Amino acid sequence: MEKTIRCPNCSKTTTCTGSPGETKKLTCPSCGAIGKVTFEDIKDSTSEPALVSLRNISKRYKDILAVDNVSFDIKQGEIFGYIGPNGAGKTTTIKIMVGLLNKTSGNLSINGYQMPEQKEHAHRFIGYMPQEVGFQKWRTTNHALTTFGKLSGMNNTSIQQRIDENLKLLNLTEYKHKKISKLSGGTIQKLGIVQALLHNPKLLILDEPLSGLDPESRYQVKKILKELSNNGTTVFFSSHILSDVEDVATKICILDWGHIVKIGSLDELKSEFLKENQIELILSKRSDKFNEIGKISGVQKIIEKSSQKILVNIEKTGDTDEIIHNIIKTLMENNCRIRSITPTEPSLDEVYQYYLRKGGVKQ
Amino acid sequence: MSFSLILKDELKGFYKSKVMIFLWIGLPILALLVHISTSNSVEGMPISLLTSMLVSSIGGLLASVMLTVNIINEKDTRVFDLFLIRPIKRWYLLVSKFLAVYICVSIACILAISFGIMIDFFESEILLDFVMKGIIDSFIMTLSVIAISSAVGILIGVISPSIVVGVVLVIFVGNYVSSIPAIIPLVFNMDNPVTIVLVIGVIITIILMSLGIILFNKKEF
Repeated sequence: MEKTIRCPNCSKTTTCTGSPGETKKLTCPSCGAIGKVTFEDIKDSTSEPALVSLRNISKRYKDILAVDNVSFDIKQGEIFGYIGPNGAGKTTTIKIMVGLLNKTSGNLSINGYQMPEQKEHAHRFIGYMPQEVGFQKWRTTNHALTTFGKLSGMNNTSIQQRIDENLKLLNLTEYKHKKISKLSGGTIQKLGIVQALLHNPKLLILDEPLSGLDPESRYQVKKILKELSNNGTTVFFSSHILSDVEDVATKICILDWGHIVKIGSLDELKSEFLKENQIELILSKRSDKFNEIGKISGVQKIIEKSSQKILVNIEKTGDTDEIIHNIIKTLMENNCRIRSITPTEPSLDEVYQYYLRKGGVKQ
Repeated sequence: MSFSLILKDELKGFYKSKVMIFLWIGLPILALLVHISTSNSVEGMPISLLTSMLVSSIGGLLASVMLTVNIINEKDTRVFDLFLIRPIKRWYLLVSKFLAVYICVSIACILAISFGIMIDFFESEILLDFVMKGIIDSFIMTLSVIAISSAVGILIGVISPSIVVGVVLVIFVGNYVSSIPAIIPLVFNMDNPVTIVLVIGVIITIILMSLGIILFNKKEF
């Protein structure tokens, strides 16, 4: 795709090409100013209808408002991370989405079907893994999965193929003929993911799918979620493990006390959080001359973390690349040897804490 | 298709359960033990009749307790969630459980009574024709009691918050409700009590099951 950019320095326009979602470094051919250009993701730029649409969903249990006016859309292929503290209303929202709970008010549609009125139609497109996965203990893994496959409308020939594929995907092949009562908690958790994936659903709804899994399994599940998303499956999942959400989610929603505090892509969430850009400098040897960089235009603050480690806050509105170039130049002129220079980014954990403090309204 | 699949699975689950093993094997053995221990004191009491009495008193109670415990346990362990998010009707789950337990317990009763008849036949001192009508009448009444008890078990399983509460309720309520069909013909001195018991049994079972299904359909998980 092609994009025409106006240089903020000299106002000359220039055209550059790139692929959707790509961020490119651009130098103005007229004045030499350096900047960045981002090509929007095609999915976001089109008016593609949402696969899941929640409008003002509320759920009240007597005098407790568990979910308060929650609205969001999820488009096909998105990985939607739903995060929030305990009791924020994540599981309640998920249960409303899959039709296990009735909403008190609002509208919910999945793939064009109204929930809960048309849930039997919508259920054909949904794969769901609850927070606590429960199987009938007397069944074997294969028996349980075969039953769920048949109930989801699969034919006999494809069921065994899909069972084998998905068990292999999660390293569960050896448990195929084992009784569920003999399986460990983590294995049952993974089996919960297998049953959700079995009928190749268009929408995968997972409630805390990664909790209780070992690091290797978590890595595998995240890889599977990314592959599914690339193949067009929409994934909605809740999690307490923010680093996992950060790894896979293309859109994140922070929920607190039943209402949405913030929703957007990770970059969007970070952009509001970041008042300044920050870089981390590590010097080979301690030198007081590093303070000279404080005179550079665009440098806001210098924080000396240790004898060699320095954090430099840079104006968000300034040209970061130009300022970094000037920092390196100044340090070299002052005989400060640089071991490394790294732009630091806030983690989702920091962003999450920021929005909870900012937006959390206790009832 | 979905209903027959769930029913088949439930049958498989129940007939392999420990309670059912007790019914399949334990009930005839229990009847035999009672027969041996009372053979001196209860002169001429045929084992088939004894078994029939035993079955009618135990069968219904076991069916209702089994169903209540099973439903509450599956609610607690979130087993229903994975079924309810699939394109099936909710009543399939309850009706298949009811039929599975009803069929299993009824077959266990038939086996136990057949065992009794067989022993009586070999002992050959008792006139089988004489006791046969009594056994058949008793068995029909037992079927009616099992049906009502099973429906009570389903209803209490759906509404009870815990296994303890459910079992206590099912023992008390199940006993009272399942005795209604047997009491009515006695109170009104009816000519054909077996038919009346059967008809009342079917009506009460349908009412209780319908109530259970309505509440289950409204239930949030």
